[in-house]
Amino acid sequence: MAPVELWIEGATKCLSQESAAQVRKEITEHYEATRESAIANGAAAQDAERAALEALGDARTANKQYCRVMLTESEAKVLRQGDREASFVCSNSWLKWTMLVFPLAGIVVAALMWIKGEHLPALAIIVAGLFFGNLLLAPFLPIYTPSRSRVFRAVKLVAQAVAMVVIFGGALKYFWLMAACFWPIFYSEWQRATIRRKLPVAQWPKQLYL
Amino acid sequence: MNFKGTLPTLILEAVEHHPSHGYRIAQGIKQRSEGVLDFKEGTLYPALHKLENEGCIESYEETENGRARRYYRITKDGRGMLAKDRAEWRQLSRAVTEILGEA
Repeated sequence: MAPVELWIEGATKCLSQESAAQVRKEITEHYEATRESAIANGAAAQDAERAALEALGDARTANKQYCRVMLTESEAKVLRQGDREASFVCSNSWLKWTMLVFPLAGIVVAALMWIKGEHLPALAIIVAGLFFGNLLLAPFLPIYTPSRSRVFRAVKLVAQAVAMVVIFGGALKYFWLMAACFWPIFYSEWQRATIRRKLPVAQWPKQLYL
Repeated sequence: MNFKGTLPTLILEAVEHHPSHGYRIAQGIKQRSEGVLDFKEGTLYPALHKLENEGCIESYEETENGRARRYYRITKDGRGMLAKDRAEWRQLSRAVTEILGEA
């Protein structure tokens, strides 16, 4: 394997396939330009190759910096899974309508129960609606701009926090248990935040707005 | 010499007046600083991607001497950031000169 290939392999470790392909292209292009320039200035072919490789620096340092600004394999996987879920929901009209009707039906049932005087179950349904409603309705809301996205995410966070406090209000000392249970949600939110930082807004898929 | 954190500003300056590709940006910075500002060229592209993600520059492909090259050009946000960085740098430079005294 050519030294520059080894360098590229080191610099693209953990990056997604698309990111790695982009890095390969730009580094090869840069390497060739440096090499050709050195040859044009009278260097021997081997010396030119060595100088071009030295100019690139340490592959591990470059890899760390690439991982901070380009999608890694695990982040690309999160996006792919999100796309699959979204296309599954949107291509299945029965599921789509169930997701739309479910929170609305919950509100109607909660209202009826409240009128009947069954306040506690009504409150429980409203809290559950708050918690799951924003998750179920989110794909169908017209959220296509970063500002709308920020508002929606703030509302989602507040709704979920309120639901948590209402459900576990009496047992907040077990917060560590709740945090452990909801760790996958926190983790995926954190990953989405990282992906948002790495992709220009024009390239955001719908799931990143939510 | 490598001043940590100044590379994005130097890149914005390099593409301020006309679009350029990675190799030319790197060579331009080194030549204009007469070799004082040296950096490893492998770290140039992560900085370019970061600026692109932040909307400070945008890229497009163009063919030069029969070879496809990715060019970068500054955006409105990038010009704003460059003006802010310039002002901050002048202020910092003035302050340090005041303390150390001019040679």
